[in-house]
Amino acid sequence: MAAPGDIPQAGPALQRAQRDRARRRKRMRWGLLAPALVVIGIFGLAPLSIALVYSFLEPGTYGGVTWAFSPEAYVQFLFQRDIFDDTLGFNGAYLRIFGRSFGLALITMVGTLVLGFPVAYFIAARPEQQRNLWLFAVTLPFWTNLLIRTYSMMLIVRDEGFLNGALIWAGVINRPLSIIYTDGAVLLGLVYSYLPFMILPIYASLEKFDFRLLEAAHDLYASRVQMMRHVALPLTRPGIVAGCALVLIPALGAYITPELLGGGKKLMIGNMIALQFGSGRNWPFGSAAALILMSIVLIALLVSLRSGAKPEARHG
Amino acid sequence: MIDIDNVTKQFGEGAAAVQALRRVSLTIPEASFFTLLGPSGCGKTTLLRLIAGFELPTGGDIRLDGQSIGHLPPHHRPVNTVFQSYALFPHMTVARNIGFGLEMQGRKPSDVAATVNKMLTLVRMEEYAARRVDQLSGGQQQRVALARALAPHPKVLLLDEPLSALDLKLRKQMQGELKRLQAETGITFVFVTHDQGEALAMSDQIAVMSAGEVQQVGSPEAIYTRPRSAFVADFIGDTNIVPATLLRYEGGRAVIRFAQGPELCANAASDALAAGPVQVALRPETITLTDAADPAALMCGTVAESTYQGAATQLTVRLETGPEIRVEVTDPPSPGARVGIACDAAMLQVLAD
Ligand SMILES: Nc1ncnc2c1ncn2[C@@H]1O[C@H](COP(=O)(O)OP(=O)(O)OP(=O)(O)O)[C@@H](O)[C@H]1O
Ligand SMILES: [Mg+2]
Repeated sequence: MAAPGDIPQAGPALQRAQRDRARRRKRMRWGLLAPALVVIGIFGLAPLSIALVYSFLEPGTYGGVTWAFSPEAYVQFLFQRDIFDDTLGFNGAYLRIFGRSFGLALITMVGTLVLGFPVAYFIAARPEQQRNLWLFAVTLPFWTNLLIRTYSMMLIVRDEGFLNGALIWAGVINRPLSIIYTDGAVLLGLVYSYLPFMILPIYASLEKFDFRLLEAAHDLYASRVQMMRHVALPLTRPGIVAGCALVLIPALGAYITPELLGGGKKLMIGNMIALQFGSGRNWPFGSAAALILMSIVLIALLVSLRSGAKPEARHG
Repeated sequence: MIDIDNVTKQFGEGAAAVQALRRVSLTIPEASFFTLLGPSGCGKTTLLRLIAGFELPTGGDIRLDGQSIGHLPPHHRPVNTVFQSYALFPHMTVARNIGFGLEMQGRKPSDVAATVNKMLTLVRMEEYAARRVDQLSGGQQQRVALARALAPHPKVLLLDEPLSALDLKLRKQMQGELKRLQAETGITFVFVTHDQGEALAMSDQIAVMSAGEVQQVGSPEAIYTRPRSAFVADFIGDTNIVPATLLRYEGGRAVIRFAQGPELCANAASDALAAGPVQVALRPETITLTDAADPAALMCGTVAESTYQGAATQLTVRLETGPEIRVEVTDPPSPGARVGIACDAAMLQVLAD
């Protein structure tokens, strides 16, 4: 009988075999990961690194960059250099653009959530055979280019468009409402284009949702509103968080919609960044603005993910 | 007391219509353990869902203590349900699950906490208060589901086959537990099962249903010994249904005769049957075997098959008139032997249909 702690040792041949196997497994793991790492490296990290490097260089006169280190792009984001004495004065113009963009993106997010949740709920509550048809209807707009859809939206909301035409015909108004080229038009366009991104992830979590739980809650004296608040919403929260992220992030960087429906009058971040690489000829500033935007989004995302991971956060 | 008055429930319209319940009338006494028993698809769940308020009756009414509740939504009825799938809220702890109903009723947090603790003790789950429900075993989830439904102290607790997901041993244990909870809380339990053994063991009263209709209501003993119809006799326990001749009624009892043997005074499910051929229910364990020539023998036949079952042996006897009947005895004759069938007349039940 073996004494306690007396673990039988593997023989030398077995030890060698174990070491070989471990080495082979490690080699295989890296081999399998390699294609993904290459793709992430080329399409993710490389452009980001270029942007990061460019943001610390000086702008070239005709676009591009001059290879001299300068933090000017980041300074320019908040301050304005006086032309005469070179002193720095605070400049809120870019912050305002960021603020406006965030405001519009947040309203877009809330709008798509308010419209999208009932739609997703409706689809998930259909009999199984019907659901794919409804989902197809939701994804149908993706078959058409966003640019074309945005132009169609312009046709609808412009002064002589369908909307005003219909309202005048119905006698609700007698002069066309000026909708196009306002924040309202931009919002309308954003909500319209991003709605499917909200519906689909919420539907995905509602599809897994056990509707019998609602019956149980109803039986336990919950009203319809309470059923939603205490059972349906918390259990579909991952879908809601995902939907919000999928709408908020691209809405922040939206380019086509504010350009066309907003008439390019009031800038959103996307347009501002595009401008720096175009007629603004300030590539470092464009890069810096893009990176600042990315950092803000990243932090917001981490915070929301952390709160999304704790379903039982406040209840004791 | 629940009064189910002529309740009809139809699903769908026109050609696709399903009559799930047809003119069901029942009275479920206060503070009793009442069981709905019947084969799959006979409408047990439907009746329970009507009482809970998940469905509205197509016709008729449901009254609770004299007040009509047939039209109220579930959250306005003092009735709670233990679901077959338990339907516990996976995002809440055991304690919050149990307290959910009280919280929705707007009770004070201190009240809720006190009741939750009481319920945890009642179902013997004190140590599990802070657990998530997906970390519990099937039997434990069952207890939480029970505690959750009992916590708001409803007038009626509905249980839809709550034990069907448990293994045999746990099932037996929970049967006792349910009985105990019913007695301790004094709440009316309406229990659904298609297991006749479970129904007999637990109920104060049983309603046997088939095809959307109530066949018979009574105590387990009454249902077992005095089945009204061939359906009930066959559904509850093992039984032989043997043809006989009804001669007349005498003092509320039916005088019948089998293929041979004396005239017997048997119990009758109905006192309005016409004289002539009738069906008689005969439980295998009430039969004694005698000599074929014994004048007390009601019929005779040969032993066709013999199955040893431990405590008793089950015999299949082929009667001389054709049918086979099952008999349970402790000292079996060998197959092929010619035997006479005798039975205490008090154990015979003449069926109404
Ligand atoms: N929502 C519904 N729509 C259409 N028909 C239904 C619906 N619910 C039940 N039925 C039908 O009503 C009848 C009774 O169903 P019910 O679920 O009450 O049976 P049950 O006695 O509970 O059966 P089981 O023992 O299998 O649970 C069945 O024929 C069933 O198909
Ligand atoms: Mg059922």
